Amino acid sequence: MPAPQRKLHLTNSKGRNATIVFGSVKPPSPPKLGVPGSEVRFLRFFAATPTTLHEALQTQLGEDYAQALIDGDPEVDFERVGREIGETSKVFLSADGKVLHAAPREVELILDPDGNEKERRDWEDKQANVNDELPVRWTGRKMPKKEAVRKFVFSRTIELAHVDGLTYDYLYAMAQELAEEDALMLMGGGPKGRDALVFQTNGTPYRAFLEGRVDGPRYKLLLHLSNMELKRPSAASGGASGGKGASKEDGGES
Amino acid sequence: MARTLVVSLGGAQSTFDLAKLDRSKLYGQRKRVPLDPEGRPCTRAALTDDGSFLVQSGMSSQGYFDAAGTWIPSKELVALDADGNPLPQIPSTLGVEQPLKGPVAPDRLLDLRVQSVYALDPLAVDDALKRSLLAGDVYEVTFNYRADYHAQSAFLLANEAGELFAMVGDVADPAWRDPEERIPTFEADDEEEHGDLDFEMF
Repeated sequence: MPAPQRKLHLTNSKGRNATIVFGSVKPPSPPKLGVPGSEVRFLRFFAATPTTLHEALQTQLGEDYAQALIDGDPEVDFERVGREIGETSKVFLSADGKVLHAAPREVELILDPDGNEKERRDWEDKQANVNDELPVRWTGRKMPKKEAVRKFVFSRTIELAHVDGLTYDYLYAMAQELAEEDALMLMGGGPKGRDALVFQTNGTPYRAFLEGRVDGPRYKLLLHLSNMELKRPSAASGGASGGKGASKEDGGES
Repeated sequence: MARTLVVSLGGAQSTFDLAKLDRSKLYGQRKRVPLDPEGRPCTRAALTDDGSFLVQSGMSSQGYFDAAGTWIPSKELVALDADGNPLPQIPSTLGVEQPLKGPVAPDRLLDLRVQSVYALDPLAVDDALKRSLLAGDVYEVTFNYRADYHAQSAFLLANEAGELFAMVGDVADPAWRDPEERIPTFEADDEEEHGDLDFEMF
């Protein structure tokens, strides 16, 4: 499905600015799961109700209620369990479990690599800065591609595209310049071009490196985004995690 | 038994232990916490759109169902191609020798949509491969952590400190932009945003 166009305001090596459009670069989707010859749907459904959650059963039946589960089915609400959960809205519950009818106050916790709280402050929204009055700046700081891939983990890439003949010329020239140098250009936000780029309100701040490729009159202008250096954590912070994590290897969708 | 990455280059085998890297272990984490009027942390829940039910943590599950509404056990699910034909399962590549391709150009790695990064601890490494990696070469290998229907690519490389890594994910093929194109289209964006800390790299 095509995505709505999003705009990015940037400068080139001469400091000239333009507003162009961008989208995410995505690899082909993995195959879908199903049953041959049969339509299947992926659904969210009720597996329990408040009266059948562990805490409620414990209150009702005592600390050790294993025998009660064998003797009956107190953990199953036959009226509700298995029903599809349709569209929902997010709500917040107080510590007492009551629905809040006004937006809660939010705080920001800063945790160190060991998970200890370093700082606590009121939450402030971080605004996107890629389509500001101030353009994303071509900083002039180049890095050979071979060096960049050994320094940073690029977890996301966006592609830039023109909206008319003038912006085609503008972007093609940028791509050509970078392709000839086989280098990535650090791009930055803010008045001095030193800020990380934020693509949506409260989005992840990324360092951004622009790459250009050309083939005859065609071009690719790719902004590679990184929020992680390619290095090991210090031994004191616990290091790497033995292969488990929130991705394919521990049960993620394939 | 620990699972290892086994690769070969020019007939010489190398074996590595894998350890997944966690970004929060490098930089820490930033968390956004909503508080109730008494200053205690709130929990999130979902209210059904008809307002009749509050779905709290532990109350929902998910799965595949057929047209009649019957739940389909996971073991009956297979991957299907675009025509609805079943695809063969791809075995795990861990512990099984995989031929390395490369050295590959940095562009190939730049096209990788990184899903996981692993630190590699060499158990037995061919000298030629080690020298090549430390000189800045990058190699590609097929990677599948567990048997399923979609193998990924892993790129082996060393940072400037000589530490070895494998970056795992799917390789994308960004579109060429043509002068005739006036209304560019992009794939739908399903990015999840996280409130991570920025890092000081310069």
